[in-house]
Amino acid sequence: MNTQEAHGGTGRRHRAPRLVAATGALALAFTGAAATPLHPAPAQARAAEDKQVLTVAVAQSVDSLSPFLAGRLVSTSIHRLMYEYLLNYDPKTNEPVPAFATAWEASEDKLTWTYTIRDDSKWSDGKQATAEDAAWTLGKMMSDDAAATANGSFVGNFESVSAPSKDKLVIKLKKPQATMTALDIPIVPKHVWEKVGDFSKFNNDQKFPIVGNGPYVLTDYKVDQYVKMEPNKDFWRGAPKFDELVFKYYKDGDAAVAALKKGEVSFVPNLTPAQAADLKNAGNIKVNDAPGRRFFALAVNPGAKARNGDKLGDGHESLLDQRVRNALFKAVDRDTIIDKVFQGHAVKGEGYIPPRYDKYFWKPSPEQELTFDIEAADKLLDEAGLKKKDGKRVDEDGEPIVYRVLCHATDPNDKAVGQYLEEWWGRLGIGMDLQCSDNVSDPWLAGTYDLAFDGWSVNPDPDFVLSIHTCDALPATKEDVGATDNFICDKKYDELYERQLAEYDPAKRADLVKQMQSHLYDLGYMNVMAYPNAVEAYRSDQIKSITTMPAEAGNIYGQDGYWSWWSAEPVASDEASSGDQDSTGVIIGIVAGVVVLVAVGAFMAVRRRSTADERE
Amino acid sequence: MTQIAPVPAAPADGPRPAGPPAGRSGSGNRTLTYLRHAAGKLAGAAVSLLAVLVTSFFLFRLIPGDPVTQMTRGRPISQDQLDALQREFGLDLPVWQQFLDYCGNVLTGDFGTSYQFRAPVMDKIGEAVLPTLLLTLTAFVIYTALGVLLGTRSAWRHNSRGDRANTGLALVLFSVPSFWLGLLAIIVFANGVGPVPGLFPTGGMETGEEGLDHVLDVAHHMVLPVLTLVAVDYGQTLLVTRSALLDEMGSDYLTTARAKGLRDDQVRNRHALPNALLPTMTLIFVNLGRTVAGVILVETVFSWPGLGSLFYQALSVPDLPLVQGLFFFFAATMILANMLADLIYPLLDPRVGNQ
Amino acid sequence: MTTDDTTAGGATLDPRRLARERRRASAARFWRRYRSHRAGVAGLAVLAVLALVALTAPLTIGAEVSDVTTAPGSPMEAPSGRFWLGTDRFGRDLFGLVVWGSRVSLLVGLLAAALSVVIGALVGITAGHFGGAYSTVIMRITDWFLVMPALVLAIALATVLSRSLGTVVLAIGIVTWPTTARLVRAQTLAVESRPYIERAKALGGGHLHIMTRHVLPNVMPLVLAQTTLLISSSILTEATLAFLGLGDPTVVSWGSLLQDAREAGAVSSGKWWYVVPPGIGIAVVALAFTLCGRAVESVLNPRLGVSR
Repeated sequence: MNTQEAHGGTGRRHRAPRLVAATGALALAFTGAAATPLHPAPAQARAAEDKQVLTVAVAQSVDSLSPFLAGRLVSTSIHRLMYEYLLNYDPKTNEPVPAFATAWEASEDKLTWTYTIRDDSKWSDGKQATAEDAAWTLGKMMSDDAAATANGSFVGNFESVSAPSKDKLVIKLKKPQATMTALDIPIVPKHVWEKVGDFSKFNNDQKFPIVGNGPYVLTDYKVDQYVKMEPNKDFWRGAPKFDELVFKYYKDGDAAVAALKKGEVSFVPNLTPAQAADLKNAGNIKVNDAPGRRFFALAVNPGAKARNGDKLGDGHESLLDQRVRNALFKAVDRDTIIDKVFQGHAVKGEGYIPPRYDKYFWKPSPEQELTFDIEAADKLLDEAGLKKKDGKRVDEDGEPIVYRVLCHATDPNDKAVGQYLEEWWGRLGIGMDLQCSDNVSDPWLAGTYDLAFDGWSVNPDPDFVLSIHTCDALPATKEDVGATDNFICDKKYDELYERQLAEYDPAKRADLVKQMQSHLYDLGYMNVMAYPNAVEAYRSDQIKSITTMPAEAGNIYGQDGYWSWWSAEPVASDEASSGDQDSTGVIIGIVAGVVVLVAVGAFMAVRRRSTADERE
Repeated sequence: MTQIAPVPAAPADGPRPAGPPAGRSGSGNRTLTYLRHAAGKLAGAAVSLLAVLVTSFFLFRLIPGDPVTQMTRGRPISQDQLDALQREFGLDLPVWQQFLDYCGNVLTGDFGTSYQFRAPVMDKIGEAVLPTLLLTLTAFVIYTALGVLLGTRSAWRHNSRGDRANTGLALVLFSVPSFWLGLLAIIVFANGVGPVPGLFPTGGMETGEEGLDHVLDVAHHMVLPVLTLVAVDYGQTLLVTRSALLDEMGSDYLTTARAKGLRDDQVRNRHALPNALLPTMTLIFVNLGRTVAGVILVETVFSWPGLGSLFYQALSVPDLPLVQGLFFFFAATMILANMLADLIYPLLDPRVGNQ
Repeated sequence: MTTDDTTAGGATLDPRRLARERRRASAARFWRRYRSHRAGVAGLAVLAVLALVALTAPLTIGAEVSDVTTAPGSPMEAPSGRFWLGTDRFGRDLFGLVVWGSRVSLLVGLLAAALSVVIGALVGITAGHFGGAYSTVIMRITDWFLVMPALVLAIALATVLSRSLGTVVLAIGIVTWPTTARLVRAQTLAVESRPYIERAKALGGGHLHIMTRHVLPNVMPLVLAQTTLLISSSILTEATLAFLGLGDPTVVSWGSLLQDAREAGAVSSGKWWYVVPPGIGIAVVALAFTLCGRAVESVLNPRLGVSR
């Protein structure tokens, strides 16, 4: 076959560079062709060049822009900005403060609540926002199942809702409910929403801008790309300072952090310890490490039952012994978990409610606390009658004990802590089968597990996270699904729960809530290992100031209110160095791309000639 | 691309390898044969699509977990609401009933409503399909051109140093996991390392510019994902082109063509390459389908808002209608790409050609 | 290998010994030709070293390298004299983990490829041997699997089944067997058209006898080449599934190390030592197997364009 090579060409034309250039051009043409019909340029003129934009990186997709359907944190955070709620929480104290309502009071019999609605709130289309809108929103949720999808539980105990005048909203209850100052429901404009036919299908994402009365107006939304909002100039508390607020998607946390370093985004939540450590050393970036709203716990299957007494699933019998549960938790070194897994970005777990809510926070007394002590744990297991055989604990049938532990495959902390637990419990002679999946609900609801990683975000009002451990929350029968977290059903706990719900005196209620936590701790079904911090970072050359919640060392993303984005102040444009380099960056990038392509082409052409020369 | 497109067969004066007998029969017969061949392929594709439909429906029902409880977990919801959701999604019906309904709806182009987005599946796919096609077609065009170009050069001087470097690099890049290459590309070209500035965006498709800026903006975002796709995918085209051309180069007609005094590059581009490209054609089409289905990783790494990201997101719920729709779409792309290859191949093969 | 049918002429050539010698000779011929492919030899050498490292890992590294409670370093230390490749997010020695991870990556690659080849060979040989309606139906199924998007199907399978190494092996095996089946069927048809198969049939050889004694040895070389190439793609697929979080989270493999690195934010915080080595490991092994596979292919069929 060498004969062909001898014919190495004379007078050949240099095709390689042209081909490469043509390919590049074709690629650009593709871009243009595909991109243009997709996104026809809006008629409006481009905004001024020095527009100050606050860009927030988010990873979660919006499930719906309809407040009646949305459940995800990203969506509800956006709804906080679009619509006023009846009340808000004070960023300093977490106490209820006026929002859409300026005042509220309960009747003597605790069954009628009257809210005074402010007269200076306008919908963004110019109409006055009134009590009528609030009554319609709540009423719709009571009458239409589809509209109750997201927030239906708030109105479950409502007898009736009415608006006797423009500024009065009256809610009648079936029985007392202490959470009436914590109704986290976006109030929507009646004149827009009464035209909606099927609430289960309406996603509120067709007509922009979306009419609202919150601090921002949603102006544009492109699925999994961005949500754009502009300040509501007429917002009664005062308009936000930035010219635009953009929630931009980064499915990959690393990509979001890299974008922050380059100034493409102003704010990134949910940092890993490594990212936080790295960003602390980067210029113009402030890392905010704040106590979080979540607890991170190990839940035990208490022999799951339905309300009618039917047994569910097959939780391990040995776990019904409180000594076994306590022993397992005594073998968990919470300090190591904080140090190694969270690398300091968490607070050691104690009671059920995180210390951030100091009004309700409770911690075990020194005698009560289950401290890390493997030997003591080992002794407890001996006392409980779990015998050791060849170094392995066995149950009554002589079978080695292997606990199934449910873990969320999407949560790196579950997997990491799981590995520690496996080794600690291994020292007690207890085996462990870490079952990680995207979807833990199925075994969880069926009760086919022994232990599980658990965690909830706690609201300023703790009612919901407390309610999920009551007997009432159990499923009615084996076939039903209950609101219960992990099937705990305890008489004393339920008694305390009922008392706190009917208690309208805040101090007395807080005391009852603490008693509940103490009892829950002793039961040993719910072992809080840590309160993970909210670790987030922002560009200090883009954001001059921003309100955290709590105001002292609080978090920014996912607050119980709109304080952070409403209060954010931009760095004056003459101070800002970055921001306007975007288009320059684009041009540099494209030039670089073309240069690379041409260089590759030229290199090939040159190499081709040189090989030809060698042969000739 | 024009240079390497299969130009009409080699001129009559170039003796061709003996073709199969079918090539020598009358033209009417040939058309008939082709039509029969095409009908067979079409029927095969239809059967495959049907099988995909059945598989996608039943396979994903095996995913543990009730979509309704999974979706509503973590927020207060009553039993009545759960039942209402079950009814809304049609999950209260027996499975066979669900399947029949599903098939009926698919025939009318309705793939159901996504559980998590409360929007028709076709709408969600429609939103994501253009970004995916933009990314994959661009990469496809570049890596095909690059693969054929380099493959030709390699074959023409096979065993030279250039050839070894070429095939070596292709094999190395072919062995590299695409997601890892994507991560490295982000570290080096988006973050910037040492003297290399971070020129390119780390992810996403656009920042919301308008007009010409929008096109430039999207092109800017495309550079890294396209480079990643090209790097991992061009090798196969290169190797196949190279070996096809090597096979072809032993043929007598090339020597004849040279004896006529044709220049070397003429011999290569007019005679050898078109014939060698035939076996490559099949691969090219199959590759197109494969790239569309394999883009999941690159989309995940670069936060590209395409079908791959959507698929991954849908699986974790599980958002059954969306998962089924996407699975069907991916499989359909592959099946259609294969069918096209089967249909076009005989048309291009000069041995079944005009003479 | 009991010699139950030794014929009277004990002095004449024992057919089994003859066959054995013939096979030994052809193996020697194979090796001679293989040796001339430098890339193939290089690939083989790399594999030999890696296999040695992986097999001796329990002695050199020890299983406790993956223990988190006794991790020697602090999280994500940079490479140093003590930790050659730094530490991971638990403070474990990354060099040890990369070596230890090679065991799982290689094991999964081998098992998945073996599973795929077994299914493929079984389907291919029976389809080629029996022909008829059976072949038509089974090859339709094969064709159908062949056009399924492999990665999408593997992800779907890994999601549907519980998370374990077995699942990963199964998912990869199920999506890769059709190629082998096609190749083996074609080869089987070629073998069965040879006259000696006719003779064997005439002498009363049953289906099983023909398939295992005559067809199988003849398709083995092809199967070998195919396996080598498949291992390479299986290792890549294993890494991909682990990276997408579909692997067993408690098992250390190269893919799961990359997934850990990404989850821990190593990419954006510039902890390259956490990201680069596992990827290089994957690439080197995949490349080595590909080189071997190509060399085997071209030895077996010099005219055959190496299509990968």
